Amino acid sequence: MNNTVIDKNAHQPLFLWKHLNKLRWLSLTTVFAMLVLIPFLHVYQTFVSAHTYDLLSVSEKQIFDTMEWLSSPFISDPEEQLDALKGNTWSGSFGGVQLSDPLAVLGQIVSSQAFYWPFILTALIPVVLTVFFGRFFCGWICPATFLYELNSNLGVLLRKSGLHIGNRRFDRRLKYLVLAIGLVVAVVSGSVAFAAIYPPAVIGREIYYAIALGGFGSGIVFFLLTLLLDLLVTRRGFCRYLCPGGALYSLLGRFRLLRIKRIVESCNDCAKCTAVCEFGLDPLHDQFGQECNNCTACIAVCPTEAMTFYFSPRDIANQGPGHLGRKYRQQNTLINQAEKTIDDK
Amino acid sequence: MKRRTFVKSVSLGAAAIGLSLSDSLAAELSFGGSAPPRYLRPPGARAEGDFESTCIRCGQCGEVCPNRCIQFFELENGMSSYGTPYIIPRDQACILCMKCGEVCPTDAIEPVERLMEPILEQVKMGKAVVDENLCLSFQGKTCGVCYRACPLQDVAIRTGLLEQPHVLDGCVGCGLCERSCIQLPQAIRIIPDYSHA
Repeated sequence: MNNTVIDKNAHQPLFLWKHLNKLRWLSLTTVFAMLVLIPFLHVYQTFVSAHTYDLLSVSEKQIFDTMEWLSSPFISDPEEQLDALKGNTWSGSFGGVQLSDPLAVLGQIVSSQAFYWPFILTALIPVVLTVFFGRFFCGWICPATFLYELNSNLGVLLRKSGLHIGNRRFDRRLKYLVLAIGLVVAVVSGSVAFAAIYPPAVIGREIYYAIALGGFGSGIVFFLLTLLLDLLVTRRGFCRYLCPGGALYSLLGRFRLLRIKRIVESCNDCAKCTAVCEFGLDPLHDQFGQECNNCTACIAVCPTEAMTFYFSPRDIANQGPGHLGRKYRQQNTLINQAEKTIDDK
Repeated sequence: MKRRTFVKSVSLGAAAIGLSLSDSLAAELSFGGSAPPRYLRPPGARAEGDFESTCIRCGQCGEVCPNRCIQFFELENGMSSYGTPYIIPRDQACILCMKCGEVCPTDAIEPVERLMEPILEQVKMGKAVVDENLCLSFQGKTCGVCYRACPLQDVAIRTGLLEQPHVLDGCVGCGLCERSCIQLPQAIRIIPDYSHA
């Protein structure tokens, strides 16, 4: 039969795709490292502008020297030029370009009930990228994701060592409710309530507090609670079920152009993609939906290279069992036999 | 399954109630009903209320502050002040560098040019008030430290007999006088002004 013979070359994903997951970890690590570096650079900048090197303590001198060593190849005047690198993923200026989280902009519009265009436009680049690449922020940029995925990996280790780790499932639509409630709270209280419960904003702020202001604030308690929720109750629970930013990104990326699909001809139904998916999606049954963040973990884990990228504003419908899987072969042999008997008659 | 739905709905309800009470609750918990601290907003900040609804708590104002005077609220000033910047002048006062207004992405702190005229016109963090019972100069011991610390000498403050300080209308409330006062407790304080547009 024709469909049992697989034209390998026609359905081969580009060899690069399965290495994108490593690139993603590099991206996450870089963002997190920047989040730690920026407060240190701020501290260094204040030392420079106060001309206080001789008055610094030993540890402060170490910070000064390290930061001078790191930044001197790029800048000559730290007092002025370091102003170009401030903030975090919630809102920050990177090389003089202000970028803000779309959730920050939405929350600010709702709480201030005014349109301040210079600020709204800072979310333009993230929004455009989200429309093309979907919820990519959650997988590629978010500093909280960096910690949450390490937390997930810790969960895997604990499970291997025989401990029971929570793996409950809830309704993923809960986070859209959180987004809606957050907007209502922003209107009623007249403050951007998301800033207090949105993990990347919280962790960015807390790292800055810890380094520059002498200690973590109360937000770190919230963040540790979300880590515990993820570890003990449900894997990546906050991102999957509660995160208002994830909800907004999902809505923006609903008709994203870059999608992942399963090549049904080379799929063997092993379900590793579904097991590895941090966001609880089901690639094995072609259920990506608006919440896929193109993190490429499923591409990296696939043993038969049956996952690839394609351009389309919509997902493809369930393609049924993979052609290398037992279920498909059984079905097909039955059909073949049936056809044979019909042919014989 | 029934018990689970019950627990779920109860916890959701509790969370909703907690959220609605949290403003007063936070104030109660952290201060036991006492008055909030005397704090200043960064120079150029909008009126209180308007400021809190415009600020997104990104912390960039604190990150550009070369004097590291900008701190951030936890829950001590109520839920709606959470994460907003403030200055305690006695700890570290503002040097009127105006960088925070420049970096603020949302215009919660409005940009002010670093020149005498715009600063006098647009910056209204508060006004210094001298306690003559505490001030050394008013006790006959020539001091004048506050006058020398002021970045707007003879516009914001002038000295009279025995270096006795007299605050003028030009005072913008940066707090450098309060920071530098050698009396304990300080004889000159900034009375915050949160009402400016």
